[in-house]
Amino acid sequence: MKAENILEVKNLRVKFPIHGGLFLKKVAEVKAVDGVSLELKRGETLGLVGESGCGKSTIGKAIINILKFSSPDVEIEGEVWLRTDKGEVDLLKLDRGQMREYRGMIQMIFQDPYSSLNSRMSVGQIIEEPMLYHTNKSKAERMEKVAWLMEKVGLQAEQSKRYPHEFSGGQRQRIGIARSLATDPKIIVADEPVSALDVSIQAQVINLLQELQEEFDLSLLFVAHDLSVVEHISSRIAVMYLGNLVEIGNGIDIYHNPIHPYSKALLSAVPLPNPNKVKKERIILKGDVPSPINKPSGCAFRTRCPIAKAECAASIPPLELKKENHFAACPYVSYDTIITESIENKA
Amino acid sequence: MAENTTETVQIEEEKSKKVSTSIFKKRWKKFKTLKRGYISFLAIVFLYIFSFIIPLFFGRDALMVKYNDNYYFPIFKFRLASELGQNIQGEANYRLLKQQYKQEDKGNWVLMPFYPYGPNENLLDELGEGNNPPTKPDFTHWAGTDNRGRDVFVRLLYGFRIGLSFSLVVTAFSYLIAIIIGAICGYFGGKVDIIIQRFIEIWSTLPFLYVIIIVSSILQPNFFLLIIILTMFGWIGMTYYIRGEFLREKARDYVSAAVSMGASNRKIMFRHILPNSLTPLISYAPFTIVANIFSLVSLDFLGFGLPPPTPSWGELMGQGLEGIDNWWLIVTPLLAMFGTLLSITFIGEAIREAFDPKVYSRLK
Ligand SMILES: Nc1ncnc2c1ncn2[C@@H]1O[C@H](COP(=O)(O)OP(=O)(O)OP(=O)(O)O)[C@@H](O)[C@H]1O
Ligand code: SF4
Ligand SMILES: [Mg+2]
Repeated sequence: MKAENILEVKNLRVKFPIHGGLFLKKVAEVKAVDGVSLELKRGETLGLVGESGCGKSTIGKAIINILKFSSPDVEIEGEVWLRTDKGEVDLLKLDRGQMREYRGMIQMIFQDPYSSLNSRMSVGQIIEEPMLYHTNKSKAERMEKVAWLMEKVGLQAEQSKRYPHEFSGGQRQRIGIARSLATDPKIIVADEPVSALDVSIQAQVINLLQELQEEFDLSLLFVAHDLSVVEHISSRIAVMYLGNLVEIGNGIDIYHNPIHPYSKALLSAVPLPNPNKVKKERIILKGDVPSPINKPSGCAFRTRCPIAKAECAASIPPLELKKENHFAACPYVSYDTIITESIENKA
Repeated sequence: MAENTTETVQIEEEKSKKVSTSIFKKRWKKFKTLKRGYISFLAIVFLYIFSFIIPLFFGRDALMVKYNDNYYFPIFKFRLASELGQNIQGEANYRLLKQQYKQEDKGNWVLMPFYPYGPNENLLDELGEGNNPPTKPDFTHWAGTDNRGRDVFVRLLYGFRIGLSFSLVVTAFSYLIAIIIGAICGYFGGKVDIIIQRFIEIWSTLPFLYVIIIVSSILQPNFFLLIIILTMFGWIGMTYYIRGEFLREKARDYVSAAVSMGASNRKIMFRHILPNSLTPLISYAPFTIVANIFSLVSLDFLGFGLPPPTPSWGELMGQGLEGIDNWWLIVTPLLAMFGTLLSITFIGEAIREAFDPKVYSRLK
């Protein structure tokens, strides 16, 4: 592991087998994640972007090692290295009992603020629960910390006796954030924490996460399906398509100068704050995302890529260094390729 | 911190300024607004609690006896007739004792319950000349007497207590088994689930009535044996529901969150999933209770139920069948059963309604 990294994902592959027929044999598999490597530096925010179904949540769940719980027959390959005080561990090699020791270090904020809180527990109980497993604080100390955390995330401590259904979506997500902070984690995987919220509330929650990250020196993996959401908060951004990373680089570079044709299309879909100021080319992708059950051979993006060539079907293009700290998985583009014309030619 | 965010948060807050309510409290509130079910609920609960103190109001034992300047409380302690100066064998007969004291007029007295007949008490001697049991309802015996000269009204009351207790115990045990097995199947899934499911399929094809008849003809059935047999066949239906609930709830994010904080299987199953899986159990419970009362009545009617002389509705109806002239032996237990089953069904209906998130479909 590199010294500045707190987490390294190496060549992660996750397949969900599909069973069918009379004897429930494996008839196909969903390649949800197909060889992804990521590094999370200490104290940074890494944005992970991609369309729905491209495997973002699966990466997050692989990192916190809960895939085997909900889908016992899932096939996972690769490594997830975590730096701890006692050295480095590969989380994927641990069983559920061994994993327990490291759970306090990595916590997750879930996508759906409604199903991620147990509606039969009061907010205080929800936030308190992780402390039961990872600290030996007394009841009074735990309640004190619950109150403190609630104030930190912008809720009132008196509300701890309330139940989740008495809160709005934005408030519920704050409860989820408070719960994830209860064990003083080093890493937080935020799985689309704002995509279920109203636009007006999204910014508040993102700001809150940013403030908390600085205050607690967290390393944040921030998942979103929309570049505009991560641009604001991420120091680096990784773009995914159908289980593969297609581009990774500093946030500013990706947002202002995406290289990969898919990133360019994703960015052109982001609404501009002032449409009169820059007339940006708009790339509209044809077709739908192919199913991860029948991934196209070679570059998975070739069925929709405006500059696809015959050779693209041959092999999966690896991430190449295009500029300082900026990688893209396409051999046919470089830092200054402009794709607009070729789209119009095609259309 | 978070200055820019607090304002809207506060606006959101206004909505939740009311008193905190758990979902259970909310549903209980809604349940209370459904008059028919709520009144039935109060009535059944009251009657059931009352049924444990019926000997104070309906029974053969005197509440208090004054004899030769001593006070006795026969309702709490068995007394020989000779102790109280009555000239019969064995236990005292307090109704006769009362008359005796009155005639003697020595300042002794007997305080009887309001309705001084016991459920298993043979009244042949007191029915008077020319009255052969069963006798018609009259002011002394509100629902008449049965063919052994026992007071039907008191037997109905005690039958209610036994029937409802029996049914509650069977329901509780069946549901307990259903929760354990359903939770294991739904939570662990995989091979465990497949094996248990196949076993349940085989088990559920066993013909319940034949098993009871066979067991009853070998062993003398009693309260506990019947509970065991009915429980053995009663748990299966609810198991499917609990299994389904666990299967569904397990995939929800709050469970993933619990796993990701390192909760044990036991904590996840019982602290997280179970409280979220009780809806089918609570909504079916009243109907299961009704069904179990009905099972006991049927078994008693067929003669495979509780051993005599246990007071029982089914046994009374069985007597009624012997001679249709004795209409009260059919009508009174039927009315008692009808009233009880209807009230419990009303409760069930109101519970289902209280659990229904759609407000507009409310029964009035
Ligand atoms: N338990 C599972 N069994 C089978 N397939 C699964 C399972 N979980 C995820 N998948 C599949 O894996 C792929 C990736 O899913 P994932 O949830 O990671 O997507 P995502 O990028 O998080 O999408 P979204 O933005 O909608 O949350 C999808 O095609 C999904 O259908
Ligand atoms: S490899 Fe080919 S298909 Fe893939 S992005 Fe590059 S040009 Fe398009
Ligand atoms: Mg997701």
